[in-house]
Amino acid sequence: MTTKKTMIGTLGILAMSTAPVLAEGTINVLTWEGYADPSFITQFEEQSGCSVNATYVGSNDDFAPKLMAGGGVYDLITPSIDTTKLMIDLDFVEPLDTAMIDGWNDIYPKFLALDGIQKDGAYYGMPYSWGAIAFMYLDDAFETPPTSLNDLWREDLKGKISLWDDKSAIYVAARKNGDMDIYNLSDEQIAAAQAALVEQKPLIRKYWSTAGELVDLYKAGEVVISNTWAGYQSSLLAAEDVKVTEFIPEEGAEGWMDSWMVVKDTPNKECAYKFLNMQISELGQCGVANVNGYSAANATAAKNCMTPEQFTALHQDDPAYLDSLLIWQPLADRFEVYTNAWNSVKAQ
Amino acid sequence: MSILRRNLPGVLVMGIPVLWIALFMLLPYGIIVTYSFWLKKYPTFIPAFQFGNYITIFTDPQYVLVFLRTLKISILVSIASFLLAYPFAYWLVFRCRSAALRTWLYMAVIAPLWVSYLLRAYIWKTILGTEGVLNSFLMSIGLIDEPSSLFLYNQFAMVVTLTYIFIPFMVMPIYTALEKIPTNLTEASADLGMGPWRSFWHVTLPLSLPGVAAGFTLTFCLSFGDFIAPFLVGGPDGNLIANVIATQFGAALNWPLGSALAIVMLIVVLTIVSLSDRMERKGLSGGI
Repeated sequence: MTTKKTMIGTLGILAMSTAPVLAEGTINVLTWEGYADPSFITQFEEQSGCSVNATYVGSNDDFAPKLMAGGGVYDLITPSIDTTKLMIDLDFVEPLDTAMIDGWNDIYPKFLALDGIQKDGAYYGMPYSWGAIAFMYLDDAFETPPTSLNDLWREDLKGKISLWDDKSAIYVAARKNGDMDIYNLSDEQIAAAQAALVEQKPLIRKYWSTAGELVDLYKAGEVVISNTWAGYQSSLLAAEDVKVTEFIPEEGAEGWMDSWMVVKDTPNKECAYKFLNMQISELGQCGVANVNGYSAANATAAKNCMTPEQFTALHQDDPAYLDSLLIWQPLADRFEVYTNAWNSVKAQ
Repeated sequence: MSILRRNLPGVLVMGIPVLWIALFMLLPYGIIVTYSFWLKKYPTFIPAFQFGNYITIFTDPQYVLVFLRTLKISILVSIASFLLAYPFAYWLVFRCRSAALRTWLYMAVIAPLWVSYLLRAYIWKTILGTEGVLNSFLMSIGLIDEPSSLFLYNQFAMVVTLTYIFIPFMVMPIYTALEKIPTNLTEASADLGMGPWRSFWHVTLPLSLPGVAAGFTLTFCLSFGDFIAPFLVGGPDGNLIANVIATQFGAALNWPLGSALAIVMLIVVLTIVSLSDRMERKGLSGGI
């Protein structure tokens, strides 16, 4: 009798302790910091009855290993447009029912036209936010503001230059070499970019790998010029009273765009679609714009919830700006050649 | 039933460690070895049996380069730790008169091990930085006029940080080895007319060699596998082998190559461990 009681009691405790995890209304998102910020997620949780657990990634390279380690953990992910195709090809994500997403038709057509989020006529990613991989300099360090990528190769700035520790370094060096078709570089062009980066290496103070690290480098007076995720690190630095200016060099800049993707066979489809609807609505679009300083993918929502100044500052009214960016593309089977070139620069 | 019951303690005593070794060592190593023969193929990799990954490691100069750099850094860390740890341990064991002070100082060496590794590495950033503690100090005493950027984000910073972090692993075995040496041996050596230096060279140092070997092994292996220090205080020329492995498993999504690198690294570490083991045995049998 007592054993039975104890057992029932134990089961009860077990049931109680596991209940929140098994509840229908919980979604786990694997995303960038800021994309599930309490400033707008709390309102969503209250209105929808779905609670949100966020896990943050530090780079696009984190998505595949995390999902490979076993399924069933995450319901939604937000890779950038150079990684979305990989997620589709790895069979980690499922096609979206775009009819169930209210704001779908308000998304910039330019984003909906991108190959990286589609396969066989179906959409796998919902464009969410975008921006440029701009360049940035410390105001005090320059009498004449830098305008070109050549400024990142200047001898007199030796030990004061930083570059993102990412395969995108190849894109930067290729543009400096005058090779503008940066996502379709030939082996010779990649080798030339690699050589340019090796030549630049003695001038580099540190390759930065996280947003916080770059902010620290500027704050500690270690570097004066670098590339940056436009809008993000510069606002963190502004908050610290470090005066930096972003610029798009003559050689142009890459653009990125992040999309929400639904992980294959998620049991929480209902909450997942509620979440997608919220993220593409004014709440989500202005939420991420306010927290991260990124531009919104839904121009209509942005117009409604942004101040005119913010709307202009984030280039929402400026299609030419968006067109000028070299939006990241999946490298598919060329990916290895690019990463290998970058790794070999770092190995030197 | 009764046989099992009679042997149960034995089965448990032997079974648990065997199961542990099989589950947490042999199986993972087996998986890594298997992966190292696989083939990278977009989007991931496919099962295969080929030596391409190993051939890449030994023919592509980038891997050899990083490997040699890692070797250099690890050796420098071991030497620096030894040069600092030996006199300290020697002083503690033979010269420190107060037992309380000795315990206290010994604990002071061990205590940092309880502080997060990450935090200790991070602190060196604030010490060595351009606007860091060291530069402010050197400027305040007038040794330099403007902050130097020579201290941080290079191999020097990595050696300093790793030495600081791993030095307890050099102090502990040397201290233990020195403590075991009977004082009457040194006294006998003095009675036979040896000066303190010659006594040290011919008696104390040889007897403490097993501890030194253990310390070298520990600090070398720990530095050899480190990837946080290059990330935090290393510069553009600071990539170590563990960073390359991390990149292969992450950014490059090339687990086969990463596994092959890990196996090569494992072989190096095992070689060092068995060499040091042999030295320790030799030291023991030759010493007493």
